Order: sequence, then structure tokens, then C-alpha cells
Amino acid sequence: MAPASHPHPPAEPPASKGAATPESAFIAPGHTFGSITDKISAIVLTRRTPVGWLLGFAIAFGLVMLFLMAVTWLLLKGTGIWGVNIPVGWGFAIINFVWWIGIGHAGTLISAILLLLHQHWRTSINRFAEAMTLFAVACAGLFPILHTGRPWLAYWLLPYPNSMGLWPQFRSPLIWDVFAVTTYATVSALFWFVGLVPDLATLRDRARSRVGRTIYGVLALGWRGSARHWARYESAYLLLAGLATPLVLSVHTVVSFDFAISVLPGWHTTIFPPYFVAGAIYSGFAMVLTLAIPIRAAYGLQDFITQRHLDNMAKVMLATGLIVAYGYAMEAFIAWYSGSFYERFMYWNRVTGPYWPVFWALIATNIVIPQLLWLKKVRLNVPVLFGIALVINTGMWLERFVIVVTSLHRDFLPSSWGMYYPTMWDWFTYVGTIGLFVAMLFLFIRFLPMISIFEMRTLLPESKVKDSAHA
Amino acid sequence: MNALDSVPELAGLRRVALWAAVSGVLATLAGALFDPTQFFRSYLMAWVYWGGVALGCLGLLMVYHLTGGGWGVAIRRLLEAAAGTLPAAAVLFVPLLFGLGALYAWTDRAAVLADHVLSQKAAYLNVPFFIARTALYFVVWLALAHFLDRWSRRQDETAEAWPGERMKRLSGGGLVVYGLAMTFAAFDWIMSLEPHWFSTIFGMIFIADSALGALAFVLVISYLLARGGAFGRVLAPPILNDLGNLLLAFVMVYAYVSFSQLLIIWSANLPEEITWYLHRVEGGWQLLANALAIFYFAVPFMVLLSRGNKRQPRRLALIAGGVLAARLLSVFFLIGPAFYRRGLGAHWLDVAALVGLGGVWVALFVWRLSSRPLLAQGDPELAPALARKH
Amino acid sequence: MAHEDPHAPRLYGLVAEFDSPDALVAAGRRAVQEGYRDLDAYTPFPIEALHEAMGFDRTRVPLVVLIGAITGAVAGYGLQYWASTIAYPLNVGGRPLHSWPAFIVPTFETTVLFAALAAVFGMLALNRLPQPYHPIFNTPRFALASRDRFFLAIEARDPKFDLVATRRFLESFTPREVTEVEE
Repeated sequence: MAPASHPHPPAEPPASKGAATPESAFIAPGHTFGSITDKISAIVLTRRTPVGWLLGFAIAFGLVMLFLMAVTWLLLKGTGIWGVNIPVGWGFAIINFVWWIGIGHAGTLISAILLLLHQHWRTSINRFAEAMTLFAVACAGLFPILHTGRPWLAYWLLPYPNSMGLWPQFRSPLIWDVFAVTTYATVSALFWFVGLVPDLATLRDRARSRVGRTIYGVLALGWRGSARHWARYESAYLLLAGLATPLVLSVHTVVSFDFAISVLPGWHTTIFPPYFVAGAIYSGFAMVLTLAIPIRAAYGLQDFITQRHLDNMAKVMLATGLIVAYGYAMEAFIAWYSGSFYERFMYWNRVTGPYWPVFWALIATNIVIPQLLWLKKVRLNVPVLFGIALVINTGMWLERFVIVVTSLHRDFLPSSWGMYYPTMWDWFTYVGTIGLFVAMLFLFIRFLPMISIFEMRTLLPESKVKDSAHA
Repeated sequence: MNALDSVPELAGLRRVALWAAVSGVLATLAGALFDPTQFFRSYLMAWVYWGGVALGCLGLLMVYHLTGGGWGVAIRRLLEAAAGTLPAAAVLFVPLLFGLGALYAWTDRAAVLADHVLSQKAAYLNVPFFIARTALYFVVWLALAHFLDRWSRRQDETAEAWPGERMKRLSGGGLVVYGLAMTFAAFDWIMSLEPHWFSTIFGMIFIADSALGALAFVLVISYLLARGGAFGRVLAPPILNDLGNLLLAFVMVYAYVSFSQLLIIWSANLPEEITWYLHRVEGGWQLLANALAIFYFAVPFMVLLSRGNKRQPRRLALIAGGVLAARLLSVFFLIGPAFYRRGLGAHWLDVAALVGLGGVWVALFVWRLSSRPLLAQGDPELAPALARKH
Repeated sequence: MAHEDPHAPRLYGLVAEFDSPDALVAAGRRAVQEGYRDLDAYTPFPIEALHEAMGFDRTRVPLVVLIGAITGAVAGYGLQYWASTIAYPLNVGGRPLHSWPAFIVPTFETTVLFAALAAVFGMLALNRLPQPYHPIFNTPRFALASRDRFFLAIEARDPKFDLVATRRFLESFTPREVTEVEE
């Protein structure tokens, strides 16, 4: 029964075991098991905290304080301090929610899908991409909870027996969102933690301070690298990857349903699920590059995060960006082809209406500029690539602004038309979550290995056992 | 060179195909004389079924050139042979252009003028533009297939890397125009059968359906070929496992795009959209819809989760054959209700056209396949695939 | 066996320390072929060839995950069906009380959630983790098992265990060292 019900197969050994293993270009030559272990664990255990880290963390922490101030004022005054009002009831809160949760997708994609596809280059970036996922989901989750107006009652969203005799309305995509996002947060955290356990054991065994040994020791759960354990561990990890893959696709699908299940022109369109998923991966990879490029420079990790990593990530961005462009094209064409007055008006209003600069900025940042990635020269030019990643991060935010605001602000009846302007509290909250995200990331880099040490060891040719036949 | 030099294993298939071609074409022609309208309708479904396989193979071939991988080197020649049938498939599409009136309601000018929505679309849905667009789609596909074929032959002759590089480069941009052509072909040929209806995901549904059909077809053929020799060695269990996972992924993608469309339209329940589904859940069509969900998703999904089923050539071929057969349901689900308005129905010509066109197409495929060695000797992925231990 | 003093340290087993995964896999395979059953290897990363060589590659984790997935699917759909048609029937825009297309979405999520929880906690339970103490940690230089050393332990409770013969067997693979480890 057990083998027949194996939902996802363990990865095959790499195709070629010759001298030029495909992985070899993803790790600089000359490394040994020991040198990999020492180099990555030293960042956490022995190296002095760099001044840049302290400076960056201080700035991020300042922004967290800004966020807390904005939230405090929100709790005192209510959501009226934000720019949302009828007809635009979903302003920054939903824009930022979708933006953050989209960014999270790259982490799961890198760790799960690339694992299933035998893409060994994922190994040096999966750990911090997964951490990025967790922190992005945390930032995302704050927005709808704060947007409910009474966040202390957010647990009402969950199905539990209560004295009011009420149950959630399961035909609503907003409830689907609760299920999808909580599942996603839980599974991402599990996946991340399971991946960390063997490395926590390494830190436990190498920590010099008693406090470090104790904390890492407790977190490592007594991991001792037993072969029996490894076999189950590998099985569980692959199954988690197999589960996380459809899960991550489902999450942004459900987010797209938040819009598409409505009857609003601009929201209600069938392409939304795949096009949102592609956009999420697009923005997520842009964020991974935005983080990876400075981190690898700051910590001298060019041996592990090589040019080929950057090139591959740029290609993924190009491909997913083209799917996003395809989505825009379908929206525009079908808006016309539908023959529906409201659909056509919606699109024309996006292009020429009061928010036209946002729309055209979106086209420039999300579609036009990223086409530079067709050129290998651009993909291999690190500063330019960094710039393009920032541009795409902006573009994907603008996309959510266009979808949320331009669709809502022109209702079916002109008497219900209006405009949306974010207030400074909207901006404080948004910038505050960026601070929160960066602060958590800084803490992660400081206290946990940002590259999976045990998986990096498996990239070395010495890890491949030669006499695998029954000698 | 004898036509079957390189694929003696397919002699039986070719014989069956030729018999099917002869008998099916004769029956179809006879039917066309008595009921031209029904002929065009049946023929459209048959073309979408077999042409979709050929087009899907072209897409998979470009994906392989772009990404590489052991899964692709094994089936590469089959994909190339199927893509090589596209010129013939284009010729076989021509008869449909003479039956647009029997197929598409929007060709009736009086009806269009009387209908507010249809008159809004007349700039797009009209006969000359339809024919011009269809011609353009075929130009795109044939050009891609032509250059890929040419460079692939050069790759066999030379040890240099440039043909592979060129195929890779062409496939990058090629997939973009291919995807657009597939999308608008789906809009024109299938979606406009019910001209009021529209769905932005419809192009993706057609692409997913074609890719799934193509992969299933290729897996069935590769099983017939893999009973030994170097080809069987390349199709080792790890590669089969990858191909099985790819099939599983495609089954899931098709279900994903189809269910997304269903859920969004069902939830909104807008009159201009929901009618498309109402035609498909009433008058017996719900049986087809249920069968589609079971045999095109649930069953293949369940059996493909098992690792054992994917690594066994025979079982994988059986599953793929089942998917290929179930694709008949999906094509019929997309097109049939537009014609059989009074409830679930079919005409004997539907079967005759499917058999006849299928026979012709499969015979063409076998002929194309036998014109070249079964394994791409110039492909840099081949050596590692051959060297791999079982 | 003689009566043992409960306070005297008991022998846990013999542990051989290797430099390379190849030597460990060779030793592990022979040890299993020789008939040792209470044995384990300790490595800094998973070695598939080792799991196969020592017969550890069949795990029950997939079965646990399958059970988790089925539980999640039934629980998720059941909850929605019960809440929407029995406990709190509500007409939402004319949609049927049993709105199966809508219910598929949360059902999918609960399926994945339960399966993932089963995968993680099932794996930990089968591994008997967390486990604060284990005798293997008494091995000299065992901290390197999480860096670049490879250990093979044959436990004293193995029926075939014999201090002299087992030591000789382990030393035939030219390990860096073979040590007696106490519990």
C-alpha cells in the first residue's frame, strides 16, 4: 500500500555523474564539506555583527515603530483614517495584501517546484527565499485583519462553534482566503522549519556559547543525522514539496477569486487565476533578486549564489512576465470582444480615465522595461538586473492598484462614481510593513543559516557515492 | 529508403491507420453528399481533436528546446514528426473554410444586424477577417515547425552547437507567438461557435487541452516503439517517471483552468456567460460533463499519483491511452453543445470524420517519423540519457 | 548473561568513524549483509545510496500523509456541507445550499493542511523526535557528524554483537577510529 500511494516520487539522482556535473557551476570550485559548513555557519556563530547590519536593522526597526504608530492610531480612530470610502472600499489594504502575498510565492516556488523539477540551483537560495515567504505572508495577513476594522475579532472568520450559532459563509471567496492564507502560512512555516532542523543541529554542535548551544539544541529536536531518520526526512520533505506546489498555486488563485467571483467589470474575468499566479511568481522572483544581490555582496557569498543563479532567476521573471502581459492582452481584447458596454467602458477608463498615469506606468514597469531581460548582457549585468527587479516590484504594486481602484471607482451608475486618494496613514502602514519585513529578514540572517548547509554539501561531487551498484 | 526502415514497430499502427483513413474518408465523403452541414460540424470536431495533438506537439517541442531535460530527448523525434504533419493539417483545414455558414451563426449578416451584441463584434467576427486570421495562425505555426525541422536536420549532420542554439533562441520568442496564435485560434474556431459568449481563459484551456492530448499521444506511441533497442534504453524508468509526472501536471493544469472558468462563471451567474454552461449541464449533456470530470481528471489524477504506475512503460501507456480517449470527451464538450441544441446527441458522421481524419493524420505521422532515426544523434542530451543506469 | 549492576555504565555499542561517504556505504552494506540488525549510520547529509544499501529506504511516511490528506478532505468538505445545509442554511444570491463548486476550494486547502501536518509530525513521530538524550552523542568527535564525518554504530543489543568480532569487522573498513560508546 505504502509505495503504491506515494503521492510524489522522490527525486531521481542527477542525470549525469561525470566530471562536469550540472550543479558544479552553481558552487565555486575548491569547497569541501567542512569549508561549506564553516563559511555559512560562521555568519551566524563567529563573525562579528557587521556595522551595515546594525545600521540596516536600525532603519528597519524605525519603520516598524512607524507601523505600530499607524496601527495604534487606526485602532483608536477606525478605518476612517485611511482613504477608503464608497465606492472604493478596497484601497491600500487589499493592494498591499495582494502585493505581499504575491511576493511570498517565489519562496515556495523555489523550494518546492524547483525541487520536484530536479533544479539543483535552488539549493543556495531556497532557505532565505522561504524565510522571505514567511515574512511576506506575515505582512500580507496584517492588512485584511486591520481592514476588518475590529481586528481583535478576526477569529470570527474561523469556523468554530459559538454561542451566536453562526457559521462562516462558505460561498464567499473571502472565507476561502482565510483557509488558503492560514494553510499557506502554516505549511510554509513547517516546510521552512523542517528544512532548518539538520542545520540547527550543525549550529548546536558548533556554537561556542552555552546560550547558543542550548537554544539551537532545543530547536534541533535532538537531530543526530541518523540514516533511518534521513530516509524518512527525505520522504517527508519531498511530500511537503509535492503538497506545497499546488498549494502555492491555489493561494494566489484564491486571491484572484476575491476579485473574479464578483460581477464587477475589471474584476470578474476568467483569466484571473492563472494570470494572478504568474504575477505572483513574477513579483516574488523580483523580490528574491532585490534581496539576494545586496546580501551576496555584503556577505561575500558569490561562491554560492553565482551568476548562473541570477541568470536563471532573470529568465523565470521574463517568462512569468510574459504570461502577465498575455493576461493584460486577454483582458483588453475580451473587454472589447464581449460587446458589453460596461466592460468596454471599464477598459477605456483604465487607459484614459483619471488614473491613466498609473496604468501607463504599469505598462512601462511591468511589460516594457522587463523585455530587456531577453538580452543575455542585461541578465549578466548585476546592477542593471537589480534595477529591473526594483522596477518589477513597483510594477506589480501598480498592477494591483489599477485592478483594485480603477475597477471600483467607476460604478455602474455615474451617481456612484468617486475617486480614491490614499492618506498618509495608508502610506505609513504600507512603508511600515516594508520595515517589518526587512527587520525580520535581518534577524533571520543574523541568527539562522541563510543558506541550507546540508543541501549545499550534497552539491559537492564527493557526496555522490561511487559504488552505488551492489558490489 | 523503405518507409518503415527506422520504425518496424509501427508497421501495425500504419496498417490500421491506412485502413481507418480509407474507410473513414469514404464514409465521410458519402455523408458529406447527403448532409453537408453535419459534415462540416463533424469535421471541425475531428480536426480540433487531431490538429490539437499536432499543435500541442509543436508547443512541447519548443518547451523542450528552451528548457532541455532528459524527458524531452526521448520523445523529441515523435514531437518533431507530429509537428512535421502541420503542413498537411493546414491543407486538411481548408474544407472548413467552405462551411463557415454551416458552423458559425455570426456569418448570417441579417441575424448579426438584428442582434445588438453581435453587431458590436462584427468588426472581428466576419468571414474575410476570419479567413485572414486563420491563414496567419498557420503561417506562424508552419514557419516555427519549418525552421525547427531544418535546424534539427542540420544538428544531425554537424557536431557544431549552432543549430541547437538557434532552436533554443527561436523557441523563446516562438512560444510567445505560438501561444497567441493558439489563443486566437481557440477564440475563432471554438469560442465563436456561441458568439455571445466570451471567456478570457478560453485560450489557455485550448492550449492545456492540446498539450495534454499531445503528451498522451506521444506516450502511447513511445510505448509501441520502446520494446527494445536504444530507444527503449533512453526511455528508462527515471525518464518515464518524469514523463508521467509531466502528464500528471498537465492533467492538473487542464482541470485547474477548466474549474477556474466554471467557478467564476457559476458564482457570478451573469446571463451572458452562464448560458454556455447551461447548454452543457442540461438535456443529457451533464452526463458528458460528469464523464469528463471523471475520465479526464479524477481517474488519471489518482492513478498517476502512484510511482509504480509511472515507471512501468505498459501501465503508463495505458493511462496515456485513456487520457487520449478521454480527450474526445473534452473536445466534444467544448464544441458539441453548440450544434446539438436539443440535448446530448451525436451523428454517425462525427465518428466517421474522426476515424477518417485520424487515419490520415496518424499515417502521415508514421511516415514523418520513419524518415529520420528515432533518436536525435546530434542532441547533447542524448549521451547522458543513453549512459544512465536503470 | 550475568546480572548487571544498574549503576555501572552499560555498553551502547561500537562506533566507527569514516572520512568519506563511500567508505561508510561500503561498511553499512556489508554490516547488513553480515546479519547485523540493530545498527545505524550517522551522516551530515542524506545519502540515498546508504538508505538503499542498509534497507532504510522504505518508509511509512507516504502512508501517513495519505491518511492525513483523506482526513483533511473529508473533514473540510464535511464541515462546509454541515455548516451550510444543516447548521446554518442561508440563501446567498440564490445559490444552492449545497454549493459544491464553492466548497471545493476550502476542501483543497484543508486537504493540503492536514497532509502537510501529517508529513511533518508523522516524520517526527516515526523518528522518535524530539529526543533530548541519545547515547550516540557520547561518541568522541560526534559533533563532526553534522559537519564532515560519517559514523556507523552497531549496538550492543544486536544478537550478533560481539565486542571482539564486531570490532574486527568494523576495522576491516579502515575507519579513522572505532570506539566503545557507553549509554
